[in-house]
Amino acid sequence: MADHAAVHAIHDPNIGNTGLDNRKVGMWAFLGSDCMFFGSLIGTYLAYKGKSISGPLPHEVFDIPLTSYSAALLLASSLTMVLALAALQQNRLKPATGWLFATAMLGLHFVLNQVYEFTTFVLHHNLTLSTSLFGSSFFVLTGFHGAHVTGGVIWLLILVMLAMRGKLDARDYTKVEIAGLYWHFVDIVWIAIFTIIYLIP
Amino acid sequence: MADQHAVAAAATHGGGGGHATVKTYINVAIVLAIITAVEVASLYIPGIPGPVLVISLLAMSAVKFFLVVGFFMHLRYDHPIMRALFVGPLIIAIAIILAVMALFSAFVLLPRVVL
Repeated sequence: MADHAAVHAIHDPNIGNTGLDNRKVGMWAFLGSDCMFFGSLIGTYLAYKGKSISGPLPHEVFDIPLTSYSAALLLASSLTMVLALAALQQNRLKPATGWLFATAMLGLHFVLNQVYEFTTFVLHHNLTLSTSLFGSSFFVLTGFHGAHVTGGVIWLLILVMLAMRGKLDARDYTKVEIAGLYWHFVDIVWIAIFTIIYLIP
Repeated sequence: MADQHAVAAAATHGGGGGHATVKTYINVAIVLAIITAVEVASLYIPGIPGPVLVISLLAMSAVKFFLVVGFFMHLRYDHPIMRALFVGPLIIAIAIILAVMALFSAFVLLPRVVL
């Protein structure tokens, strides 16, 4: 069996000279650069914190119970994502498809919560992208995160459709693992945003 | 055949070592849920000094961050190159946050009495 794995590695065009999967190396490099992208947005938010001269303040608009619920959704989706990967690793395709679909639905729920939050801010608190330093830095940071989640949901739904058409099995483990890396990344970014933006007074 | 492919895929998916078990994943998820509950609850507990609250929130967030990266993203089992590709830019990202805050004299994260 080990020989089979070795032969598989030798003939796999995705395995580079280092013995590592090029697609996975590429995804980790992308996630590293995305860390710096979100680092600059978080830094800007903190630099502007408390410097708005107009508009509602964070503690006047934040709905901590709703945001906590959203945080729980993303954490739960990280669990369903690894369960999908574990099921695929054992070639249990139906559970893997189900867990992938559950992950996509939890992500979609998160996005809908964010749409509701943004709508409330704009319509009930008159907080927009151009209202204040808080408005611009908050909407840009959380908006880019929401866009990442939306992209992840679309990616997961494509994988679900491939699985339902019989075009995804254990041989495609790395494809799903890479999608999982991206998905967990949006989760860890939210872990940082949730604490730094919403929880710290 | 499919089982062989599953094993082969698992063995060659990136050059890393083994993965955590499903039981480990569930245990990590439980710990993450508990920490999140404590984080949110700490906001509603009166009398916690500001610096203690901020530092404990940041510490709990860091624990959650590294649990997800280590176990769910398998980085603790993965090849050192993968670790370097992520941890290096993460350190730069933290440096960017601190540098931007310093540029704007914005160390409002900690109450002024601490600084």
